[in-house]
Amino acid sequence: MIPILKQSLEIFMKVIRLGSKIIQTLVRDRIYYPGKLMVDTFGMVARCGVLLLLYWYVFRLNNGMVNGTTFLIAAWSMFLYFAFSVLRLRGISKEIMRDIRSGTVEILLCKPISYLSYRMWWQVGTGLYSFLVISLVGVIALAFIVGIPETMSARIFIPTLVIVVLLGVLLSLFLYTAVGLLAFWIEDIDPVFWVVDKTVMILGGSYLPVALFPDLMYKFAVWSPFGASQFVTHTVYETWGVEWMMKVGIQVFWVVAFLVITLLLFAKARKKVSVNGG
Amino acid sequence: MDQDSIVVSSLSKSFSFPIKNPSVGWIKNLFNPEIKEITAVDDISFSVKSGERVAFIGPNGAGKSTTIKMLTGILFPTSGEIRVLGLDPSNDRKKLAYKIGTVFGQRSQLLPNLPLTDSLEFFGVMYDLSDREIRHRIKELSELFDLGSFIDQPVRKLSLGQRMRAEVVVSLIHKPKIIFLDEPTIGLDVVAKKSFRDLLLKINKEENTTIFLTSHDVGDIESLCERTIVINHGTLVKDLPTQELARTFVKEKNIDITPNTTFSVFPELPEGLKYAVKSKDKITVIIDISKIGVQEALRKLLDVFMVDDINVYDTDLETIIRNIYESNPAR
Repeated sequence: MIPILKQSLEIFMKVIRLGSKIIQTLVRDRIYYPGKLMVDTFGMVARCGVLLLLYWYVFRLNNGMVNGTTFLIAAWSMFLYFAFSVLRLRGISKEIMRDIRSGTVEILLCKPISYLSYRMWWQVGTGLYSFLVISLVGVIALAFIVGIPETMSARIFIPTLVIVVLLGVLLSLFLYTAVGLLAFWIEDIDPVFWVVDKTVMILGGSYLPVALFPDLMYKFAVWSPFGASQFVTHTVYETWGVEWMMKVGIQVFWVVAFLVITLLLFAKARKKVSVNGG
Repeated sequence: MDQDSIVVSSLSKSFSFPIKNPSVGWIKNLFNPEIKEITAVDDISFSVKSGERVAFIGPNGAGKSTTIKMLTGILFPTSGEIRVLGLDPSNDRKKLAYKIGTVFGQRSQLLPNLPLTDSLEFFGVMYDLSDREIRHRIKELSELFDLGSFIDQPVRKLSLGQRMRAEVVVSLIHKPKIIFLDEPTIGLDVVAKKSFRDLLLKINKEENTTIFLTSHDVGDIESLCERTIVINHGTLVKDLPTQELARTFVKEKNIDITPNTTFSVFPELPEGLKYAVKSKDKITVIIDISKIGVQEALRKLLDVFMVDDINVYDTDLETIIRNIYESNPAR
């Protein structure tokens, strides 16, 4: 038993070392080229800022409350959605498609790594620097501009936020990886990606905070993997204190389900690898 | 150089894919399409000794890349057996990856925005080397391959020649026992090609690395590889020392003549001789040595032409290889 444990620990340490090297390398790459951070910041300010202004106006028309939710909660929920989206986890679908089309997948399959975990670490590394900088600056800016809701001062807020973000990262990666792997069968995954991505955006609260959804749609947002990948937006809601365990459970379920789906798809896909050239 | 690095027995690989049949409806095409099967590699067997330098050549679509990708564990064979350094590439892909290096000429594995040292460190970690080992190996490779002038430059600023050199160096970070190169000199100028070939010879000499190379460049084969395996239409056509390739397949010799008279109409040549070049200053005649000997050919030519100079030489390797390809037409 002990040799197995030792071997597992060694493999785990290898994965972590490679992962941290990928992230470290990509963060350096981003620091080298600060233009990317500026583009991300501008995108965040443009999209999130405009929506917040619109919401502020709508909430004011409705005496500061819509469907039992205040503007303060809606603003933070929306900010969390956009901050999470700066991680650009959705990009893994397109990266996988590019790897398959260009044949880069073959180069990576010659390396002593798992292609999937390599791509996932890479994707996290791609957006991490922008995510950290924008989140930090955004939190300070938003706290000054609109204030901090009481729900964020609850003791469970930070620990559950961390858990939900990590599970959200995993679920998003698995979900979008599964979409990307479809490129082994259908050359152009864009239509599938578009449907999945828009569903995630809608059910995740990109256009409208989930708290304002009609009942049926709210249920769909909670129980579907698309909405579950964005539960980070729920952490500021009044109901979070009583619902967090259920929602973490839903996330865990979808993470496991999509992990299995992704691994099965990849095992099938490996046999579909063909070659460019003769 | 007596241990087998690669052993391939009765290896085959087929690809099947759906094709659209315009005579049936789209529903049948979608749900029950016609399947076309292509045999890319058909029952080939060979082995490569440790430290050998082997050229694996063939025309486009011959099955070279498919074979190299089965040897590296990227593709699964349809049938047959492969052992690379005692491992089965399909089942032991990761284990094998620690022992082999790969360079695909048209695809880069380097990190484009960062200095070359970052790519070397990155791949060092990927191959599980300790930080100390990585530093030591980078120093060693840098000295061995004279990377000093560009090791700190971002990869995207390197010339193609420097980049290809860097590709090889990155693939050597973990001291592989075999290096597979798929058309590595594509797009390089003559100077870069020469330096690249020297580098490969150095690896082979200094680290006894087996070199398995596919290339369309005859220069790569001539100057690098002691043995050539020719594949065409998925089957193994020839497997022999590169020097013998020329000796065995020379069916023609060339004669360059500098005439001291000018011709408005060139005279007819006897059987077995044909013109390759007809100009005022130079005439090149090709001798089919299966029909006429060199001495006889020279005698007949000297009867026809008054010459200032004459030069007899072998057909180049490129022509020999072309002859081999053409003598194995499509099945």
